[in-house]
Amino acid sequence: MINSVIHIDQVYIEGLASNNSAVIQSIYKKFVPKIVSYIKNNSGDEDQAKDVIQEILILLFNQAKANKLQLTCPFDAYFFLLCKRKWLNELKKTSNQGVTITDDFVSNYKPTEEMVAQTEVFEEKQELFDLMFKKLGDKCQEVLKLSFTLKSMEEVAEKLQVTYGYARKKKSLCAGQLTQWIQEHSRFQSLKIN
Amino acid sequence: MDSRAQSLPIIKNKLAMKEENYILFDQYIQNEMTVDQKVIFENQLLEDQELAAAFISFKETISLLENKLSFDEERSAFRESLHTIGSEHYKTKKPKVVNLKPLFFLAVASVVLLLGLFVFNPSSDPNFKDFNQFEEAHFVERGTSTENLKQAEQAYNTKNYKKAISLFESILKEKQTAEFQYFYAISLLEINKTSKSEAVFQKLKSGNSIYKNKAIYGLALAKLKQKEYQSCKEILLTIPKDYENYDAVEKLLKAID
Repeated sequence: MINSVIHIDQVYIEGLASNNSAVIQSIYKKFVPKIVSYIKNNSGDEDQAKDVIQEILILLFNQAKANKLQLTCPFDAYFFLLCKRKWLNELKKTSNQGVTITDDFVSNYKPTEEMVAQTEVFEEKQELFDLMFKKLGDKCQEVLKLSFTLKSMEEVAEKLQVTYGYARKKKSLCAGQLTQWIQEHSRFQSLKIN
Repeated sequence: MDSRAQSLPIIKNKLAMKEENYILFDQYIQNEMTVDQKVIFENQLLEDQELAAAFISFKETISLLENKLSFDEERSAFRESLHTIGSEHYKTKKPKVVNLKPLFFLAVASVVLLLGLFVFNPSSDPNFKDFNQFEEAHFVERGTSTENLKQAEQAYNTKNYKKAISLFESILKEKQTAEFQYFYAISLLEINKTSKSEAVFQKLKSGNSIYKNKAIYGLALAKLKQKEYQSCKEILLTIPKDYENYDAVEKLLKAID
């Protein structure tokens, strides 16, 4: 995870994280057409391409917001490879018939592959986290939601009409429960190796 | 383990211990411990690897929670930007492919423009009608009132602003998005409800959506419509150069001068 040099294309990541429309526009202009034509040439249509692109951009937003995205390779190759792999996974999931894939773009560039792998692990972790979060009881979900959106635990307690001590304790225990479920989940074990 | 038991005397069983740990972890992360408690806790982490691993996992959950919950609003704003910029992008891409005779149209357009210049010999003051070429609305259903959205889109795109306004008003009651506010403000401006329109543009201007600059341009046009050229110019000058329609800004600035 500790990386050498941050690529100048990190501006795209920062731009996504700060919802900078000029940056988002330039991503669409510069990098999106290539992805759309790749997907269209590989058994997909424009709407499917749009979905893949949107999903990846939101993933990048999330990873950047978690301060876990420091680009060490060009954005172009990284973004393309992510979208491409997502699309190939979609194809695998949905079709059992043989699909023709023109694999003219293969990244041999190590840093790009590493970056892509990191982002995919982040995505897996996040999916697992979302899954486990939904498993929590309503009370737990509510306490956690309020704890991370209101300014203080006093406010949380007031909103829930409980004592400060109770709210404080409940929050810790719910976060603990969540931690335990994530740890115990089989998918987590495979993520740990990465 | 002995040192832990000393500092945590109430540990009765594994579950209770786990819960105690979660509370401790959170207190440490939230910086709610006294200096002494902190030192004891940090020493425990050094001595007890299992505890340290559990602490790291807990910390990661907290940061995932933060990421998921604290940025919820920002995430929806981001999704909205993707939606708007994306649909603009995909929309503008298509005509390029099907455009038959762009040169021909360009020629016709310039003749018309020239004729216009000669025939109407415009006075030196620019006119609102020359600058109010706003984009079309293309809403994608994202809420419950899909029918309302479709109607609003149609009314707006066919310049039936009165109808569009009443539809936008009911949509905005349910969902206050920058996109709807923007098209609502334009509709108001078109039918001369200028001060109301300016209020909505102002709101967008102080926000952080992708309609921010468009709203400032809208404010300038509101001034133009009221023939307040100086304030129009002052507002135009506050629009950053990377605004996507900066061409229009420059054109209007030139026209005012």
